[in-house]
Amino acid sequence: MTELTGADPNVLTASEAEIAAQARRRSVRIWQSVFVLILLGFVGLLVARLIQTNQSEHRASGQAPPFTFTTFEGETISLADLQGKGVVLNFWASWCAPCRDEAALLEAMWRREKDNGIVFIGLDYLDQEPAAKAYLAEFDVTYPNGPDLQSAAARRYGIKGVPETFFIDPQGNIQQMVIGPIVSQAQMDAYLDKIRP
Amino acid sequence: MIFDIGHLILLTALILSAFGILAGYLGGRWRNTRLIQSSFNAVYAVAVLVFAATVILWYGLLTDAFQLSYVWNHSERALSAFYKFSALWGGQAGSLLFWCMILSGYSAVVAISNRNRHQALMPYVNAMMLVSSLFFLTLLVFATDPFKRVGFVPPDGQGLNPLLQNFWMIIHPVMLYLGYVGMAVPFAFAVGALISKRLGNEWVHTVRRWTLIPWMFLSAGIIMGSQWAYMELGWGGYWAWDPVENASFLPWLTGTAFLHSIVIQEQRGILKVWNVVLIWLTYFLVILGTFTTRSGIIESVHSFARSDVGPYFLAYLIIILFGFLWLLFDRLPLLRGEHSIDSYTSREAAFLANNWLFAGIAFATLWGTFFPMFSEILTGDRISVAAPFFNKVNGPLFLLLLLLMGVAPLLGWRHTTLAAFRKQFTFPLIAGAIVGLLVFIFARSLYPVIGLSICGFVTATIVQEYVRGAMARRATTGENALVAVANLWRRNGRRYGGYIVHLGIVMIGVAVIGNEFYQQSLSVTLARGESATIGRYELVYNGMTSERQSNRIEFNALIDAFNLDSGRKVGAITPQRNIYDKTPDMPTSEVGLHMTPFEDVYVVLNGWESGGATATFTIYINPLTMWMWVGGIVLVLGTMIAAWPHPTQRRSETVRSLAYATGDD
Repeated sequence: MTELTGADPNVLTASEAEIAAQARRRSVRIWQSVFVLILLGFVGLLVARLIQTNQSEHRASGQAPPFTFTTFEGETISLADLQGKGVVLNFWASWCAPCRDEAALLEAMWRREKDNGIVFIGLDYLDQEPAAKAYLAEFDVTYPNGPDLQSAAARRYGIKGVPETFFIDPQGNIQQMVIGPIVSQAQMDAYLDKIRP
Repeated sequence: MIFDIGHLILLTALILSAFGILAGYLGGRWRNTRLIQSSFNAVYAVAVLVFAATVILWYGLLTDAFQLSYVWNHSERALSAFYKFSALWGGQAGSLLFWCMILSGYSAVVAISNRNRHQALMPYVNAMMLVSSLFFLTLLVFATDPFKRVGFVPPDGQGLNPLLQNFWMIIHPVMLYLGYVGMAVPFAFAVGALISKRLGNEWVHTVRRWTLIPWMFLSAGIIMGSQWAYMELGWGGYWAWDPVENASFLPWLTGTAFLHSIVIQEQRGILKVWNVVLIWLTYFLVILGTFTTRSGIIESVHSFARSDVGPYFLAYLIIILFGFLWLLFDRLPLLRGEHSIDSYTSREAAFLANNWLFAGIAFATLWGTFFPMFSEILTGDRISVAAPFFNKVNGPLFLLLLLLMGVAPLLGWRHTTLAAFRKQFTFPLIAGAIVGLLVFIFARSLYPVIGLSICGFVTATIVQEYVRGAMARRATTGENALVAVANLWRRNGRRYGGYIVHLGIVMIGVAVIGNEFYQQSLSVTLARGESATIGRYELVYNGMTSERQSNRIEFNALIDAFNLDSGRKVGAITPQRNIYDKTPDMPTSEVGLHMTPFEDVYVVLNGWESGGATATFTIYINPLTMWMWVGGIVLVLGTMIAAWPHPTQRRSETVRSLAYATGDD
């Protein structure tokens, strides 16, 4: 907005006008550079922030986010205590029909693998306790299960729905993430092999 | 099967838009009519294809096609057809598709309505509109495919976000998108003008209406968003300076500044650089706003589930920023102003001040929105910037803006004489003083007295303008007053519609002042039959009822409100809580409201015990809030008057120049 300060060119001699024009061009260029630099800084910060966000939210691989929960039996379990063991973390709910497709397989696998250093954990997502307990009784589930209070773990793991299952290796890294029920024995074996201690 | 076709359609649209960009650019450069025609056809074809893809997703939502990840995540069987339909914009991929559909619709309408005009400009406009479409199609095809499969067929979906199951929340995003996306049109014209080097008034005329329309939608969207926040979120307010709210507000600020400053360019041939910069900023802020809300970089109640669109948005942002700057710097010598501002008492100086204020508010808002995030990166500490910062900085700026809104129309172009000052300002100043005095008698605090007397002043200027205009018409034509006003709208809708918009803004201002300075609140726990007193009201709690709906349980608290002055019952107030089956940990609240022109009695149900034997409420008295919604409606009506095309408006350039030489628009 240079309109407010328009200099009168008539009072200048030719060479003075030339110098003035040069000075104006230079000042325009300086302003342009300042403007571009500010924008570059802004964009740079956005890039930094995006990278930061993506790192903390990357869930399908990398370090498994820590969580602690209390089982329906009242026992408190924390992921940190399970270092050195493979962990199968399953998010489910009693109202979730596809969860039923995998419930028997999960329980069978727990019984087969519990002495091989693999722990199964079930986190109950957005559910009511009586319904959840009935569901666990129906499938005779014996591995540790508990409510995911305030969906804290669900949020950390960024689940898109239930069922979702995370296979975490003894070092605490997510090796595999599965959306939807796991119904094939072969698939399950392949994932379990990834997290054996 | 049909959903695979949906994906293919999007891919085809993507390829076509890339082709259309080339055709438009090269056609414009080589003045090749066949290429130019191709660019038009590409615009039409993309619009049809994107619409077809949207219809397919709608079909999936309405037929409960849960094998689609999007449908599974954002719908459920128990949802009513209306919400299934609106679930299209309830999640990331669907809303981007919806966005893309609106964008290509705008492009097609712009292309059709200008197919025989602006020959040199249109190929580039088509190309730029298609650049925007290409970006969104890239997102839809590569980053967030709305037709992605889950891999199995779930028997039921996860349900729509309960907060979105509300009428206002259905309409509000549509309005916002219509506003947001529409800002691509003036930007495309600006880019077209820069590339074709036709930087005269040609594009400015066309772009004015094309800015007004999205501006109207954006304003309506923001107002509806406030309405929703007011009715649903239950914290007694309507605006929290939340990052996402700011994201919608920022382009509104620069867009409003642009609408004013192009008037000066039209009339006086100045501020050309500033205008293209403003419309570029508006478009940039639209993309920035979308980026921040969808990439997860800012924490907010509104944030979408994060996904992989962040890097795409950032790349596009960088292209828009630096591509445009490069173009602008190259064309800078062609953008010299034809005049300079003659006097500080001229209307253009007032408009310029208006622009500085808008820019200032926009900058403060941008700063407040991004500062917490940047401070976290640079220092590791998160310094939050909350509502008090925004109110403290923006409040006074808005007050000045309000004042200018009254002053500017009273000033003449180029210069205002002392006699004109006296003629124009006497009545409004007196009116403002009287309002100020009245407010002072009832409530003695500084800011509201100043604010409301400014509101009185501005209203008086508008009334004065209307009375003068109507009297002038009556003197020459003998029409009655109503016909005269209708004719003012018809013959000079831009000016007189603009005044109506200003009136709407004044009403909103009155509501904001009332809420900001005179709100009362009270938190109480009441047993059945007990009552609480606030302001002029006594509220009696009569117990709770619950009602089973298709996908939720509604809990209602029954309250009767009595006016203490008259002792009469003024109405029943029923605050509500909804517990949704699929998301029981996210209960939504529906406030109970008794609305009058003077104040709202606003009751939030916080909780209850033993089946409603006792219940806890927060009660607010919100003065003058109704005027915010009335003002919003008035604003939309005024914009319609201003944007309405009338053949009589196409006055010849000579008449126009004559008009502003005499200081009469």
